[in-house]
Amino acid sequence: MSSPPSASASSSPPPCPKKMITLRSSDGATFEIEETAALQSKTLENMIHENCASTLIPVPNITGEVLARVVEFCSKHAEAGVDDESLGAWDEEFVAVDHTTLFDYIRAANFLEIPTLLDLGCQTVADMIKGKTPDEIKKTFKITTACTPEEEEEVRGENQWAFE
Amino acid sequence: MASLESLTEDLLVRIYKGLASDADRKSWRLVCRDFHRIDALTRSSLRVLRVEFLRSLLANYPRLDTLDLSVCPRIDDGAVAVLLTSRGSPWAFPRAAASSLSPPGRDPLAWTRGLRKLVLSRSTGLGHHGLEQVIRACAYLESVDVSHCCGFGDREAAALSCGARLREVKMDKCLGVTDVGLAKIAVGCGRLEKVSLKWCMEIGDLGVDLLCNKCVDLKFLDLSYLKVTNDSLQSIGSLPKLEVLALVGCSLIDDTGLQFLGGGCPLLRVIDMSRCNGISSCGLVSVAKGHEGLVQLNASYSLTECSSILLRCFKDLKNLNAIKIDGARVSDSAFKALSNCTSLVEIGLGKCIGATNLGLMRLVSGCVNLRVLDLTCCHSITDAAIFAISDSCRNLTCLKLESCNMITEKSLYYLGSFCLLLEELDLTDCGGINDTGLEYLSNCLELSCLKLALCPTISDKGLGHIASKCRKICEIDLYRCNGIGDDALAALSSGCKKLRRLNLSYCSDVTDRGMEYLGQLEELWDLEMRSLFNVTGVGLMALAAGCKRLADLDMKYCENVDDSGFWALAYYARNLRQINLSHCNISNMGLCMVMSNLTRLQEAKLVHLNKVTVEGFELALRTCWVRIKKVKLLAALRFKLSSDVRETLHSRGCKIRWD
Repeated sequence: MSSPPSASASSSPPPCPKKMITLRSSDGATFEIEETAALQSKTLENMIHENCASTLIPVPNITGEVLARVVEFCSKHAEAGVDDESLGAWDEEFVAVDHTTLFDYIRAANFLEIPTLLDLGCQTVADMIKGKTPDEIKKTFKITTACTPEEEEEVRGENQWAFE
Repeated sequence: MASLESLTEDLLVRIYKGLASDADRKSWRLVCRDFHRIDALTRSSLRVLRVEFLRSLLANYPRLDTLDLSVCPRIDDGAVAVLLTSRGSPWAFPRAAASSLSPPGRDPLAWTRGLRKLVLSRSTGLGHHGLEQVIRACAYLESVDVSHCCGFGDREAAALSCGARLREVKMDKCLGVTDVGLAKIAVGCGRLEKVSLKWCMEIGDLGVDLLCNKCVDLKFLDLSYLKVTNDSLQSIGSLPKLEVLALVGCSLIDDTGLQFLGGGCPLLRVIDMSRCNGISSCGLVSVAKGHEGLVQLNASYSLTECSSILLRCFKDLKNLNAIKIDGARVSDSAFKALSNCTSLVEIGLGKCIGATNLGLMRLVSGCVNLRVLDLTCCHSITDAAIFAISDSCRNLTCLKLESCNMITEKSLYYLGSFCLLLEELDLTDCGGINDTGLEYLSNCLELSCLKLALCPTISDKGLGHIASKCRKICEIDLYRCNGIGDDALAALSSGCKKLRRLNLSYCSDVTDRGMEYLGQLEELWDLEMRSLFNVTGVGLMALAAGCKRLADLDMKYCENVDDSGFWALAYYARNLRQINLSHCNISNMGLCMVMSNLTRLQEAKLVHLNKVTVEGFELALRTCWVRIKKVKLLAALRFKLSSDVRETLHSRGCKIRWD
């Protein structure tokens, strides 16, 4: 009888199991995220260090759809060996969504304290504002409250004559 | 779809901070009340254009750290007093009533506590009372700029010395300040790190010595054009933290003084000793040997030649970035020695005698990181040198070739092929340049400043090539380019939307049609159009109505522009700050309209206005004497203008030049 083959030097040791964290969105869906990717979020990072991350973490403000994409973002940014150019292109595609979703990303990044996503989202909105007139901004972003005509004239006057 | 308003305020602040341009920030604040409030809470710097708005702006912007009043007319002691009272004085500035957009109960003087930087340059109406009041009120002020307040003297310096927290003081051209005033500042402002005293000619060694004794944290010192001697350099040598020293035009300094410098100021990085007649290579050697961390050395027009010892010293300076030895005699072996300094990014060789093709080829074979190269008046260089330069220095961004008349279109071909990062090119007086050359050059898509003055061989076609591809152009100089006409302006108006500065003087083929095209350039800010005989009132009207940002206009000798043009100018060109109307056919009424309506006008040249009578001048000057700062008039008027007008102008700090 031959003994069962033991783990010899020729075969590599089994990889460490990646530590996964489970998040639950506001509508009850659960998502798993690697610990290394979760470290992108300062909120989650604090929880991990205080050992509260072993059980399910509820994320009450964020819906499942948005949370799924946020998890995708963090995982992509935690990946090793991705060069800046392709990451930039991936980011650009990531934010090419409608305004509602974009604002949801920003809110999620704010709640979970993900600086990379927060900066990306806010800068995308700032770039959308670039070059637009105030009326175009109101229309694009569906802003309803406005100034009274007197206030508007005052601000317009200041813009033109008061300072630069 | 959700609205942007659904985001919380701190997120909106983040987005606001991502806005890159002033225009965008202005659009933002017009959108709605919330956005206006965010702008008011976040904006940190303001350049005020009109004094009527000043009080309400300061009340609404509590987070300001920088306030620039240099282009605001009528800044004087009275204005300061009104600004610093905690109650509004509606009779002084009608717009000072609290804006309906600002929350009530806000402290109107909160701005004084947040302000760190105050720019009052050219505020000639301000006196020492007002200056002291504002310095004392802004207790945390760190930087103040009173440059070009030519009437300022020791009393104003004493007012500045009340700012104990001041770290930076700019007093260029405060002609009345003496050693006494400087001493007061040195004693009162012990934390000073940056001091600029260019042209303060009354200051001498005594003041500088005291400054160096009291302000030991000094990092930046500019004593250009002062009559300081080697003794000052001895005092300066004792400053332990000095990094930047400028002594341009200090003719009383010589090599002995430089030896003091060589032994002191261990952290010196940048030294500018251009136009100092008394120094030579020997003195610079002592400076270079003592400071291995030297980054920039400017000895333009100071050296007659660059000794071989000095050139060898340069090799030991591992961080050396920029050398300027304009005016010196250089040999081919000198270039060989310079080529060993591979860290060089900028070299100035303007008017250098002995600059040859061979020498330059040697230079660029070693200095491949060159970005800025000045070869003004190096007459003997040809296309071969430009080939070597473009091939070796692919990162070239600025090349000056004024008066290099052997350069032909071949050089532009090389530049267009190899130096694609080129931003600035000076081809003034290069007689060999033609339209084909400009076509080759148009491959340099980063081009932003192009000087083609005195090139009669270029025409509308060549400029068309540049305009169609080089979209980043901001500045073009076409002074005396006889071949340029309306079609060139058509090309510029459609291709170069970012054009800010344009010189068309003596391009006499330009007509009203060309002016209409110019009216489409919304960013145009500085226009020189001397002697354009074919432009009439119609053309000027089109220009004024379209170029809303026009601030600087020189139309000397435009004799065919009639009053209809000037009336349009007075109505539309509200941002005009400087104007030259000499030798124009403007009438009494026209001049009065221009001077009174243009409330930002601060400098005017009004020589040889043949249709304007003495009464016309009187009236025009009276309408603007509250804000005009500089005016040039015919000498004959000196005795004809009433003393009333002359005295009022003088007391408001206005400078009159008699031609």
